Amino acid sequence: MKLALQNILHDRGRFSVTVLGVSFAVFLMVFQGSLLAGFLQAASRLIDASDADIWITARGVQAFEFGTALESRVREMAAGVPGVIETGRVCMAFAVYRTPVGKQQVVALVGADPNVGKRFPVPDRPESSDQMSPDAVLYDVSDRKQMEVETLPAEVEINRHRAIIEREIQGYGAFLGVPFLFTSYRNATRYMGFDSGEAMYILLRTDKSYPLSQVQQRLRQRLPEVDVLTQKEFAHKSRMYWTMKTGAGGAILTAAVLGFLIGLVVVSQTIYTNTVENIEEYATLKAMGAAQVFVARIVLTQALICGLLGSILGLLAVVPSIGYAKSLIPWISAPWWLPCTMVVPSLAMCSLASIVSVRSALAVEPGRVFRA
Amino acid sequence: MPNDFLAVEGASVSFGKAQARVCALRDVCLAFQPGTLSLVMGPSGSGKTTLLSLLGCLLSPDDGSVFVDGVAVNRLSEAERTVVRQKKISFIFQAFRLFHSLSALDNVALGLEIRDPAASRRREMARDLLLQLGLGDKLHQEPNALSPGEKQRVAIARALAGNPPILLADEPTASLDAEAGRNICQILRGQVDEQGRTVIVVSHDPRWERFADRTITLCDGRVEEEVAVP
Repeated sequence: MKLALQNILHDRGRFSVTVLGVSFAVFLMVFQGSLLAGFLQAASRLIDASDADIWITARGVQAFEFGTALESRVREMAAGVPGVIETGRVCMAFAVYRTPVGKQQVVALVGADPNVGKRFPVPDRPESSDQMSPDAVLYDVSDRKQMEVETLPAEVEINRHRAIIEREIQGYGAFLGVPFLFTSYRNATRYMGFDSGEAMYILLRTDKSYPLSQVQQRLRQRLPEVDVLTQKEFAHKSRMYWTMKTGAGGAILTAAVLGFLIGLVVVSQTIYTNTVENIEEYATLKAMGAAQVFVARIVLTQALICGLLGSILGLLAVVPSIGYAKSLIPWISAPWWLPCTMVVPSLAMCSLASIVSVRSALAVEPGRVFRA
Repeated sequence: MPNDFLAVEGASVSFGKAQARVCALRDVCLAFQPGTLSLVMGPSGSGKTTLLSLLGCLLSPDDGSVFVDGVAVNRLSEAERTVVRQKKISFIFQAFRLFHSLSALDNVALGLEIRDPAASRRREMARDLLLQLGLGDKLHQEPNALSPGEKQRVAIARALAGNPPILLADEPTASLDAEAGRNICQILRGQVDEQGRTVIVVSHDPRWERFADRTITLCDGRVEEEVAVP
């Protein structure tokens, strides 16, 4: 397959353009893939952070960010269903935050009972070794600039109530462009002016000896006016809402597909031009007795070499770029497998791009070798 | 004819359709024995290259048969004819048709790769062939860096790779000066005498006449004259 390699190396300018085209496509696919992966994770991050088996929401709530208040009796009735061993409450509302220097800013305030989950950011978890006051307020480190907090603890105002920000946390950065603030459920209802019995979400932990679907079914029968979803169902619903119904996921996905198509066109064009320019050589090969498979392998190898080198170059460029992008888009996420798996579509892209060229090379008549 | 090593029997070939139809060969019967060098001559359009294409399994006749080693190759499929070319036939062209991105050594090694994929030490064998043809100092040169005579010797080395019994040469000396042309004539004659190959040369070059065992003259697609050279 030296001929394949030498043919593409012989025209270094064109080879560089092809490799750059593929690397651009891979860059775009991985970057957009990371945006999509991060977007999906961020869309259900707080739901996934809970340890609850079941979430009860108001009817028709599409995503965590759009909850509405449930009556206090819902929690009491849910607690009485066989299989339910524990209930917790979560609420979320937009609030006005006044920075220590007096600037105002809208924030998304989330309050939760301490038992909703070990990963759920609440200050008053009893088992936590981190010494904080029960009514402490937390924010994500990526939102530091917007919070304008110089030192901790910092005294701020939330909906004109005095609040103490005590800690920075990680991994719960702004997803809607509005920073999240986390506090205890009791504290949050106070800031929001909620009735202390109300909740936006009621989280249930169930007895493992009861089938989850059975408990869910009983809850639905007893509480027909609300939505009863497993944690996975609500997380999925939330992700689907943000990615599909808002079109944001579609836009990200379209950009990734465009990256694929750009790479496809660049590689097809270059490999095809290369094949047509060397068509006499393919005729010579066939006259020499080269089988069709041998000829096809040369064209395909050329495409795959471009694909492989382009992928490596694209990955080398995208990894630091994503690292840098994290400072601007905190929720962007590139799981280790994403860049690795992108090599597969890029090689598939190059193989696909070589189809027309392979056909041209295979169709050439060996008899043309005697033409001048 | 089927008993001859290489033969065409009553072969006719035409190109084009309806009024544009041109008859390139008409009822040609020729046989070629192993260990002979045949020179095919004739004016342009007389059917020389068409005859070479038939003998090289690159073309099938409209009528008649082509036999290679006793097998009627015109009845074979395209893939089977490819195998016949791979095992038995090599070409030498006026325009050399070397692979421009490969060195002389790699060009010859590629010939071996196609004709004898199982062979180990292909590069050593290619080097030996080039050394035999006096190209020991040009092994790593690309075709563009070689003179026309050297290019043709590389092309001959490539044609000899895999040891095919039949060599078909189309105007192999047309692009060469007198000395290089004579050198090529001697090399191909040597392949007949020393290796027993069947060599068929299509050429206008009269120098070939003293190297050939017989001369075939074509005119308007027919064999006009067939003369054994004493």
